[in-house]
Amino acid sequence: MLFFAVWAVATFGGYVSKTFLADPITMVKSGYTLITEMGFLKDIGMTVWRVVGGFLIAAAIALPLGVAMGAYKPIEAFFEPFVSFSRYLPASAFIPLLILWVGIGEEQKLAVIFIGSFFQLVLMIAVVVGNTRRDLVEAAYTLGASDASLVKRVLIPSAAPEIAEILRMVLGWAWTYVIVAELIGASSGIGYMITNSQALLATDQIIFGIIVIGVIGLVSDLLFKFANQRFFPWAALGKA
Amino acid sequence: MSILSIRGVSRTFEAKHRAPTLALESTNLEVAENDFITILGPSGCGKSTLLRIVAGLDRQTSGDVLLDGKVIDGPGADRGMVFQSYTLFPWLTVLENICFGLRERGLPREEQLTIAHSFVKKVGLVGFESHFPKQLSGGMQQRTALARALANNPRMLLMDEPFGALDHQTRELMQEHLLSIWEAERKTILFVTHDIDEAVFMGSRVVVMSARPGRIKLDREIPFAHPRHYSIKTTADFAALKGELTEQVRAEVIASQALVA
Repeated sequence: MLFFAVWAVATFGGYVSKTFLADPITMVKSGYTLITEMGFLKDIGMTVWRVVGGFLIAAAIALPLGVAMGAYKPIEAFFEPFVSFSRYLPASAFIPLLILWVGIGEEQKLAVIFIGSFFQLVLMIAVVVGNTRRDLVEAAYTLGASDASLVKRVLIPSAAPEIAEILRMVLGWAWTYVIVAELIGASSGIGYMITNSQALLATDQIIFGIIVIGVIGLVSDLLFKFANQRFFPWAALGKA
Repeated sequence: MSILSIRGVSRTFEAKHRAPTLALESTNLEVAENDFITILGPSGCGKSTLLRIVAGLDRQTSGDVLLDGKVIDGPGADRGMVFQSYTLFPWLTVLENICFGLRERGLPREEQLTIAHSFVKKVGLVGFESHFPKQLSGGMQQRTALARALANNPRMLLMDEPFGALDHQTRELMQEHLLSIWEAERKTILFVTHDIDEAVFMGSRVVVMSARPGRIKLDREIPFAHPRHYSIKTTADFAALKGELTEQVRAEVIASQALVA
């Protein structure tokens, strides 16, 4: 609220030039035009699709690999150096390279998101699984659990709520990568609209785009939180 | 006929930049079927180490542990364990925790539930079947852990100070409870504790261990008849036995403190 108030005072009061910062009402109006006349919904759809697609591919590979690394020391020793190194490579720096390799099509967007989220996911999941309470593992063994069922019945369920939390966090980062990818080379998407608007000095549209990103991020965050409470009711117990 | 034979078992902990620590001297112990052996000793005397070796969670440096004549090599469902820390699986309900080992054995679901329900009843948790561990008191969690271990129908039960984290009153009730379960089922039990009262009240045999490096200093039959009522704790015989053991343990505690100082 405070944010909107300051913004309104700054723009309506004439303290900031309209060229640099549009006022809230213009922003809402042009947002409406964007959606009704310029097919902005399709842009939003494209961006959401890219984030979800790239993120799902990353998660689908990172989950089993992360669990395997957390559960078996030799597997961790084998992959850890490479993954640790790779996670410090900024995904955005790969964009020019990816454009050369796969062009500016959808593969490039998916690849940026994949690089940006995959290595983070693997390492964080491996750590969580590796930190499973030792006494629970021992209890499972004394109840006759085999190594395979230890992974399935103890390591995974024990780490599941934290893994869901990691997914939620990294999905947020994936949003940053997609916009960067779209700013650099794209013909659709929210980031593309933002670059276009910059050329037209349409700050109202840029701000609208940013707010849309924020709202979508917030919604996906809430969905994740809701799902966590729903699927892992035990994890919240005793925290309050 | 002994069910468990501990023969010349010792444990040395290797450490970097330090001399290795001898935690457990070469130890022999024969456990007969239906024995309820309580192992007493000062903290750090290697009594938990001995129990963990029997459980297969730790490996001895020398010697052998035999269960029914077969060498123990790693943990297994034939030795149920109850830990001092609360080790129920927090994502499973009381009933599902008790089913854990049964499901591992691949029993049909119907059978799992029948067995689990019967143990819920034995440990007095009817009405709490679908509670999660964090919704239970410490005493109830340990009763569930006991039910989980017993439901697996192990050859013997290993208990590592299972009531150590409970308050005094709950602890005494749990002792009576465990004793009555043992009197009914006659499971062979190895029970580690540092509480002399507890050791004398429940055990059919008390083993006292010395300060580090641990070794068995005293092995004594407890003559009180079963079923035992909690009121025996106030009898003169009980007090005399407790007094004798207190002297023994005290000497070891002082010795172990001298080691630290």
